[in-house]
Formats: sequence, structure tokens, C-alpha cells
Amino acid sequence: MRSQRLVNRLRVMAGVAVGMIMLVPTQSVAATTEEPQPGTEVTISPVDLDGPTISTVEVTVKNTDEQRLHHLKVTFAGPTGWAVEPPVREVKGTLGTGAEAATTFRIQVPEMRPGFMTRTFTATATYQGGDGLGTATATRVQKTGEPLPNIQAAFNNVAITDESNTLPGNYDGEGNSFSAQKLADVGLTPGAQVDALGAKLTWPNVPAGTKNNVSSAGQAIALNGNGSKLVFLGSGVGSGAAGNATVYYTDGTTTTGWFGFPNWSFAPADAHGATLIKSTDGRNRPDGYGNAGIAYRIFANSIPLDPAKTVELVVLPANGTVHVFDVAIAP
Amino acid sequence: MSEIPAVSRRMLLGGAVATGALAAGLIGSAQNAVASSGQEPSRRPGQKSMIGVPFDVRRTVRVGVIGLGNRGGGMIMGWSAVPGCVVAAVCDIRANRVKSAADRLEAKGYPRPAEFGGSADSYAQMLKRDDIDLVYIATPWEFHYEHGKASLLSGKHVMVELPIATELHELWDLVDTSELTRKHLMLAENCSYGRNELAMLKMAHEGMFGDVTNGHGGYLHDLRELLFSDTYYTDSWRRLWHTRSTASFYPMHGLAPIAAAMDINRGDRMTLLRATATAPRGLADYRARFMPKDHPSWKETYINGDLVTCMIDTAKGRVIRAEHDVSSPRPYSRINTLAGSRGIFEDYAGPAPTGGRIYLEPDHSGHAWRDFSTYRDEFDHWLWKKVGDDAANNGGHGGMDYVLQWRTVQLIRAGLVPDIDVYDSAAWCSPVPLSVASLAKNGRPVEIPDFTRGDWATLRQGLDSRPTDMPPVA
Repeated sequence: MRSQRLVNRLRVMAGVAVGMIMLVPTQSVAATTEEPQPGTEVTISPVDLDGPTISTVEVTVKNTDEQRLHHLKVTFAGPTGWAVEPPVREVKGTLGTGAEAATTFRIQVPEMRPGFMTRTFTATATYQGGDGLGTATATRVQKTGEPLPNIQAAFNNVAITDESNTLPGNYDGEGNSFSAQKLADVGLTPGAQVDALGAKLTWPNVPAGTKNNVSSAGQAIALNGNGSKLVFLGSGVGSGAAGNATVYYTDGTTTTGWFGFPNWSFAPADAHGATLIKSTDGRNRPDGYGNAGIAYRIFANSIPLDPAKTVELVVLPANGTVHVFDVAIAP
Repeated sequence: MSEIPAVSRRMLLGGAVATGALAAGLIGSAQNAVASSGQEPSRRPGQKSMIGVPFDVRRTVRVGVIGLGNRGGGMIMGWSAVPGCVVAAVCDIRANRVKSAADRLEAKGYPRPAEFGGSADSYAQMLKRDDIDLVYIATPWEFHYEHGKASLLSGKHVMVELPIATELHELWDLVDTSELTRKHLMLAENCSYGRNELAMLKMAHEGMFGDVTNGHGGYLHDLRELLFSDTYYTDSWRRLWHTRSTASFYPMHGLAPIAAAMDINRGDRMTLLRATATAPRGLADYRARFMPKDHPSWKETYINGDLVTCMIDTAKGRVIRAEHDVSSPRPYSRINTLAGSRGIFEDYAGPAPTGGRIYLEPDHSGHAWRDFSTYRDEFDHWLWKKVGDDAANNGGHGGMDYVLQWRTVQLIRAGLVPDIDVYDSAAWCSPVPLSVASLAKNGRPVEIPDFTRGDWATLRQGLDSRPTDMPPVA
């Protein structure tokens, strides 16, 4: 019975509720009747994000266990680089069943940036007694701004150039790019439909030499629909082109999935779990077409969706080596 | 103990300055300060922190200027151009400069200021006036402490050109005097208001650099021609400093913006300083090549290292490198480099118009620098959006001077808390004496005092301020 309650509780908390609090026990989900169940609740008050300012945040720890909780320490952290004062609070005394301890922290909040932003705050309680778990963590995610209306609005890189004018290209940071002619040879013409991993994607419908893909940097892109997975069409630069994408649903919850792409040329085609979609012959360099005989490739990869929910937007990985040409929901 | 050998005022200016009466009762307040010990002298009865203390609202800010040489004479027009500000009095030991400054203001249609000049204590006469709200001091370095303290004691707020003082006990005394008189003393650090510097600060607060771990700043300016000019620095005062001590005389232009980006005195503090100095070669070499054998400089021996570098630790584990070199042939730079776990910014190294370059994760990859321009646009400080055009028309140093002046006047007229306070000013100037102390110990680390007396850990706003309007001028 006790472990069933734990499973139910964890199920409820499977997704991070935006603007709400999630208590995440550090114990394994596979609880048994012998293991302690979470009896410590940590909550974070809303954070005033109208910066630049110094905001005060209250972190409350509640002991719902029948055992007294003691030696409580609370830490609080905001986004990387945001100063917090103090980094840790120590709570004297003990907390009986149902008792709460409120601690306050001050955090340096920068000026609000334009566009969609998520700000994640984390509070961790460490303690003795109580539920016996020793630690409990709460995460608060607050959104500001609006996502980009579509992926075209996020295009920030020139990955495709005409062989007659290769200079605008800079897919890899060294001035190289895909050849529009060689892409056409394998069916990737502007606006062409690409079927991949069950999704229908669209090859960038813009002229060669213009911005036609997204070098991922945490951009938020609006989507709308239901499905089993979210499919990304793209390719990588370097060997570490992977990261987490976060999907926001209309009910305020989120899921996060990890995906990546192989290097456009030399990595195994299934690196990061990707699927090869097209290979082109050679590439455009600043001095013109070259590297004939070497394949330069386009891949697809996906992350799972909660099919019962409606997707509102996706936040791309914060990794500029992940280049995305399109994203679509697969049934 | 004096960190820097005393300069003879009589030798330089041929007169004595009497401030004893003004200073009586406060002299010695910092005698407990121990150079480089890191121990803070206790406050005296009635002495309280000036952190977070707003200015008394003034409808019009009346400025009195002490020192009308290159700097002071150049700044009077900027003060006068700021809405709600008037230069009420001007002072210089040389009476002809006083008249010239007053004439120029009058010729531009501004009210003719009261004039004080002709002797070394003319400034004391000016400070007796009760129609001055802010004293702006632009005299040679050796007089900043004396003039700054006297101005505080006369009940005025004070803005002092770099440095506010050159010895540790003087820095403490200015902190104590500010706290006792309840008047603000601010370093006139125009570079803290530089457009790139302020954008860098806002980016640091946004977390664009991740956790900031290190920064470099300095003052690298080939001043040799000016130092040997017979007219630019009155009585060659600045060159003579190079005959007295081995010290980082003037690192604040580069240090202050880095300190701001690290929230020094606003969540972090500088704890240790260790200094290195190269051999003094630049000035002697310049003299040998360009100065006639009968020039007075041939009687001088230059002992200050051409490049003096201070490595500064902070309480949060950051490191600052602050450099000073005015004796070597090189293009100008304040360095302005800030780096952390997710990226780096370097000024004076990128393309026009900003001169900055940047590399940030996740925005960038491929180990290649990017242009700073788009980031400066996004993180442009509201002050530059608001008065940048006026600054271009009214101020020197790329407009930084006017932004500093506009903001200072606005803070007083609106009754706001200063962006730069006496604690920032003292901390930023402390490498002057502390570099001497460290070099005397072959570069061993010396402790940097906590001028806030324990309040450094409290987060508070400074230069990354919220937009506000200049109160309307009636």
C-alpha cells in the first residue's frame, strides 16, 4: 500500500508543471515496502522576474512524516550565473508532523529579455529524521515572453548555397555548406516534403545562400498538435551535436527528450540514435564546390511525446552544433 | 606607514595648503587601519554605513569644480549641459584658469560661476559656500584625498577623479568621513559607464557567461608624449609619480568594470592582491630618443615598472588581472575581458563598431570568435539608449563622460542611491597602495581590506540599474 502511494505520487509528478512545484525524491522509483516514502514537501514561492532587481524568494519545507525532522539545511539556486544570497540556510530545531519551516533567499534577477524564456529555480532540503530520505528537491519553472511562431522565424544559419556563390555559407563555422545542386540531386529542393520517422517535414523553402536552418541555442518554437513523437530533421557539426529538447504542452506540463545528430560528414550514420535521410556528394567551400566523393548528410531523430496532450511549443537544445532544418509531430 | 613616498606640495606648487582646521576632529579616524592586514578598523560612535543611502533630493544640482586643468576644464561643459545642473563655482590654484573657465561657460550662455583661485587654499574658500551640492575634483592625484575629505567635511557630496587617494589609511579615512558626514564620495569612473562595459555587465547578470570565473582589465595607454610635455600635465605631476614608487597607479578604468560584473561589494569581494612589475625602461628610453639634454626630465630617475600587474582573488574564487602601463609603445586598451563557464568577451580585439569579440555557448561553436555587435545591441544599457545621442554631442571619451555626469545629476535630482559609492571607490583604488605593499614583499599576496565592514555579501543593485527618468526641469 505504501509503495503504491509512492508510485501514484511519482506518476503525478512525471512532468514538470510550469510555475508549480515538484517534489523529487532522490530515492529510486522502484520502491519497496521496506523503503521510506517521501514525507518532506519543498515549495518555492513565485519569483519576481521584472528585473534588473534583487528578488526575495521563500522556500518552505514541510514535514508530513510522523517522525520529527531535524538538522535541516536548505539551498536555493536560480539559472546559471544568477547570484543568490545566501547559498544555504540552516534551520535550527526540529519539525514535527505537519510543521513547516520558511526560509528566504535573495536572488539577482537580470533585465527581462525579449522572446520566450524559461527560468528554472531549484531548492534542495537536506535533513535528518522525518521520512528518512535525507533530501528533497523542488523545481520551479517560470516562463516569460512568447515563442517564435514557426521554425522559419528561428533560422539563423546558412547551410545551403548555390555552387555559383558559396561565400554566404557557414554551416560549420569554417565557411562550408551543403550544395543546393547536390541536394536537389537527392530530392531536397526548396519546399520539398521529407518523410522521416513517421513525420512529414518540409525542406527549407528559401533560396540558397539565405538563412535556412537553426543552429540550436535554446530557441522556443510554437507547435500545435498531438502525437507520439517529435521528429527533428537536421545534421551535426563536430561530434557532440546532441542535447535535451523540452516540449511544453497546453496544460502547462513539460517533457524532456535527448536527441542528437551525427557530424554531417564523418561520424557513423546512427550516432546519437539518428537515422540517415539523405546523402549528398561533396560540399561547397568558400572557394567553390569541392570534396567530391565524400558524403555530406541529412538525418532525422526524435523524442517521445505524451500522446494524450496537445503540444504548445518546443525548446531546442542549448547546443549550437545541433542544426535543425525542420521539426514536426509524428502521429 | 606610507605606502608611497610623500610628495612635497611646496615642491610642486610652491605653496602650502591648509586643511587642518577643516579636518580637525576627524584626522586619525583611520589610524587603526593596518596596511594590507585585511582587518577593518571599528566604526566610531555615530558612524554608519552609506550603503543604500539615497541622495537628498535637489531640484538643481549645483556643482563646484576644483581643478581646471585638462580634465576639470574639459568636464565643466558636460556638467553644464546636463538638465538641472549648473556649475556654480570653479577653483584652481592658477587664477588665469579660473577666469578662462568662467569666461567659457558664460560665452556658452551658462551662468557665470563664482571664481576661486590664485592660491593653494582657494578651494577651502569655495567649500565655505552653502550653494554647492556636489564638488567635482580633478586636481593632480596627490591632492585628491585632501580635497575629497575637505569637501565631505564641508557638507557636500563629492565626485573625485581617479584615484580618490593613494594610500590605504587615506582610503579608510575617506570611507569613515563619508559615513560620519552622511555625504557620498564617488570615484568619477567614467569607464564604468562605457557602452561595452555596461553591456558586458548586463550579460554577466543574465548568465550569458555562465558562472563568471575571471576577468581582466587595465589601463594600457601610451602616455609618453604627454608625460614629457611641458604643458599637458601641470608641473609634470604625472611623470613625477614614476620617480617615486613602483606601483599600479591607475588600473581603475579596467578594474572597475570587471569588479562591477563580478558584483564586488554586492555579493563578492576582493580578498588578496599580488603584484608584479617589469623593469622601468619605457620612459628612460623615450627621453633618450626624444628629449633635449637640457630638459628637466634628465634629472629624474624612473623607478616604476612599465607594466605593473595585479592578480586579485575574490571571496567567491574568481580571479581578476588588473594591468597598468603608460610607458610603452602600444595601442590603447582597457582590456575588458570577462570569462566564465559558458563563454568569454574580449574588448579591443574585435571589429568595428564595438571593437569587441565574443564566444558563448550555446550560441557559438567551432572555436571561432564572433562579433560583439548583436549582443551589445540586445544588452545595451538603458542609459545609452536614453542619452547616448546627447553623450555623443556633449562628452569626451566616446560619450562616457557625459553619461557619468548625466547619471550623477539624475541620481541627486531624483533622490536615488548612487551607482558607485565610497566602498566601490575605495576598493577599486586600493591596488594603488596594495601593489606597493606586495611588490615590497617580492610579489607575495597582501590582503585587501573589506571597506564595507562585512556588508559585501549582501546583494544590491549598482550600475545595472532600472530605467528612470530625469526629473523635469522647472
